[in-house]
Amino acid sequence: MEAILTDCVQNSLRHFMFGNAIFLCERLCAESPTEVNLQLLAACYLQNNQAYSAYCILKGKQTAQSRYLFAISCFQMDLLNEAETALCPAHEPGGEIPNGAAGHYLLGLIYRYTDRTKNAIHHFRLALSIDPLLWAAYEELCVLGAAEDAAVVFGEAAALCIQKQYLHHGIASPNVHTSNEDYNLVSSQNFGSEEVSPRQLKHTQGNNLRDIPGSYRGAAVVSGAASQPQNGVVPNMSFYNTPSPMALQLSGVAPPPLCRNMQPNGSNLNTVNTDGSPRSVVNSTIQAPRRKFVDEGKFRKISGRLFSDSGPRRSTRLGRDAGANINANISTVAGNGTNGSSKYLGSSKLSSVALRTVTVRKGLSWVNENIEEGIRNEAFDDSRANMASMTSSSFPSGDVRSLDQDGATVPVGGIFFSGSKVISGASEVLGLLRSLGEGYRLSCLYRCQDALDTYLRLPHRHYNTSWVLSQVGKAHFELVDYLEADRAFSLARRVTPYSLEGMDIYSTVLYHLKEDMKLSYLAQELTSTDRLAPQSWCAVGNCYSLQKDHETALKIFKRAVQLNSRFAYAHTLCGHEYVSLADFENGIKSYQNALRIDSRHYNAWYGIGMIFLRQEKFEFSEHHFGMAFQINPRSSVIMSYLGTALHALKKSEDAIKIMNRAILADRKNPLPMYQKANILMSLEKFDDALEVLEELKEHAPRESSVYALMGKIYKRQNMHEKAMLHFGIALDLKPSATDVAIIKAAIEKLHVPDELEDNL
Amino acid sequence: MATESLELEEEGKIIGGNQHLIVDDDLREMGKKAAWSVSSCKTGNGVSSLRDDNLENYWQSDGAQPHLVNIQFQKKVKLQLVVLYMDFKLDESYTPSKISIRAGDGFHNLKEIKTVELVKPTGWIYLSLSGNDPRETFVNTFMLQIAVLSNHLNGRDTHVRQIKVYGPRPNPIPHQPFQFTSREFITYSTVR
Repeated sequence: MEAILTDCVQNSLRHFMFGNAIFLCERLCAESPTEVNLQLLAACYLQNNQAYSAYCILKGKQTAQSRYLFAISCFQMDLLNEAETALCPAHEPGGEIPNGAAGHYLLGLIYRYTDRTKNAIHHFRLALSIDPLLWAAYEELCVLGAAEDAAVVFGEAAALCIQKQYLHHGIASPNVHTSNEDYNLVSSQNFGSEEVSPRQLKHTQGNNLRDIPGSYRGAAVVSGAASQPQNGVVPNMSFYNTPSPMALQLSGVAPPPLCRNMQPNGSNLNTVNTDGSPRSVVNSTIQAPRRKFVDEGKFRKISGRLFSDSGPRRSTRLGRDAGANINANISTVAGNGTNGSSKYLGSSKLSSVALRTVTVRKGLSWVNENIEEGIRNEAFDDSRANMASMTSSSFPSGDVRSLDQDGATVPVGGIFFSGSKVISGASEVLGLLRSLGEGYRLSCLYRCQDALDTYLRLPHRHYNTSWVLSQVGKAHFELVDYLEADRAFSLARRVTPYSLEGMDIYSTVLYHLKEDMKLSYLAQELTSTDRLAPQSWCAVGNCYSLQKDHETALKIFKRAVQLNSRFAYAHTLCGHEYVSLADFENGIKSYQNALRIDSRHYNAWYGIGMIFLRQEKFEFSEHHFGMAFQINPRSSVIMSYLGTALHALKKSEDAIKIMNRAILADRKNPLPMYQKANILMSLEKFDDALEVLEELKEHAPRESSVYALMGKIYKRQNMHEKAMLHFGIALDLKPSATDVAIIKAAIEKLHVPDELEDNL
Repeated sequence: MATESLELEEEGKIIGGNQHLIVDDDLREMGKKAAWSVSSCKTGNGVSSLRDDNLENYWQSDGAQPHLVNIQFQKKVKLQLVVLYMDFKLDESYTPSKISIRAGDGFHNLKEIKTVELVKPTGWIYLSLSGNDPRETFVNTFMLQIAVLSNHLNGRDTHVRQIKVYGPRPNPIPHQPFQFTSREFITYSTVR
């Protein structure tokens, strides 16, 4: 009975019938409350977005898989301390982190959110070394500013690592589980958007018992496949014999039923089921369809599906669970980590088997964002597809960059990947990741031009995916080239209209361009796509802000913050609105919130600097602009404000130097020249100031403030006719009411000396 | 002097009113930062009706003329425009006909800055506070008082449905002598 129930549960999970799965699983647990069954139940809950239930049932369990699942539930419930102790018990400092790469990734995230950046970086690096295809970890490293060159990370060593993983699997059905990255545990397999517990491991674990364990990190692959012994395929279940890191993991895992790979036992079929968990079906169940789960989440899991044939494919993480094997697959699904940066959506189509493609979303902002609407499909499938033969799995078409994909499970019979296919597949995958990783890393360092060049080198089909296009848009945005950004983002929207990634930046671009029609249209579309995503509300708020309705805009940005308090940009936008309403105290608080989430968010540093500039606290202002400048040394706007602050502190030499740099950095930006003229005027270097302003006149011939300033300078030099001329032109260009008053007053004063002369 | 006052009255006559409230972009409503009070009111038609953005309800005074609306700020602000909503068709003898605007530091030193006569107003009435001199575009003051001196058809009490007070927007960029007008400047001038 147990076996049948297990099978049913896994089947239900596979088909996303969570209610059914939960019910049956509860019966299963009542029948035989083994830990494995409990893990399966927890996986069901997590998939169904009931992290609290999973939390309750797994509290106190000590097996690695249980600890991992427990950590995921804690993470989703925002109980970071408990999650951390679960993964890394205090009394066992040298203990093994459950689920290898996924565990490290989860731990890294926990450290990141509790502000222990060094530890976070350490764990992300470990995760990457175990599973080189764990894109989410690389993404996080980029955001923290500590990523190494993509070529190194996704280079030879990685290829070897992947190879080993796959070779071990032999059969491997790609069932990789997808890691869930999402916070939201959205379980369902959704391909994608779900938020499933971010931990991909979870999935893997969940599902799989399967051997996949390794897979998630890339290595994992096919363990599931292995399980299919039935297929007769390869019994090499050894998937998990994988190289040492995996081995370690495995051993660690072994104890818990979930361990993914049972492999050590060598039992093939069962291994897949691994974990021994009941889930894994009882061997036979593995058969066929291995489903692949796609993890959403940040991990890039490559669905094992690829491997449907011969040998496991290393390509990307195969986190997929061998669906076939284990019904568990279910667990992994989803997790979309929305957001930002990379999202990998693994969509695997289950072709042969009920594979589900799960899109994995990774996003850096994963953290920040909640649901990701868009799923980025990383099309790993392409590579997989190339492999041909196997894959039955559906890999999503090449266009998508699916990094993660879980291929449909290996259908029956285990897919074997031949060694050479693995190698070539792996190298393709790595090549792709290398370009994407390099581009992402460069854009996080704000070397946007280089990032753009890197992205342009991608093959066309990969370039035209929403993730890449959003990144391109962001890069243009940082370069203050709003028209190009607009173009890139609108293309991204055409390619994947359901994607929310990067749309908050797009709304800001439209705000800067003052395109209120497009902006309101965007806002409407986004809110109708997903009313619970902070990006949609950011767009709506920007709309109101553009119409100068700052109070409503503030309310809306606060809503976005409520939806996802880890979304740094929403906090920054709140801060901007507070400043427009002249509420500086709350403005500073909002900016500081943003910085607490992401200390490399230079907009927030800039915001605080502006507040201090207004309040005339110039030293603080200079410090903050300096920090912003350190993070983004190419922004001419920041440089010019830094110069203004320096000038106010009487360090005029430095101020002029920075202004010159700003002018060189971006020829199209008139602001630094104007500020420079201002500084020169207050230093009484009138001729230099006039020179700069003359040049500025060429750039922006219809700017009233330029003429007004020139008039002022001429007045100081007592060249009244010229002053009059310029004031007149300035007035013609319709300045604001305050300026009209100032200019007219200045004109009046000009007349006085003339009248005096007349009288005389 | 007589001539002047006559001229004043002639200049200060406003006939009718505007259907829509359209205000320049570079003005912003300052009323939220002020404390509003009235000299007298009927229960249920108090000062909040003047600020609730609802043209259906109104403030009704309940005492002797002149009826006063006092607007007090915590610090000196620049004000440029006062806009009132009145409706002769609905309010008839309750509609104000002569309004005086005074400004000062407090109740003790208010000085009249504008007087205007209204003839059957229906809609939004714009009262600019600027003087002729460009240096007097704004009134820089702690307190503004709007006094209803008389009503149409010699009514005793008055109805006013809404009052809004506008001042200039501050320069979004601190430490700039002038505000930017052209799009290139504005686009590049801030980071969002």
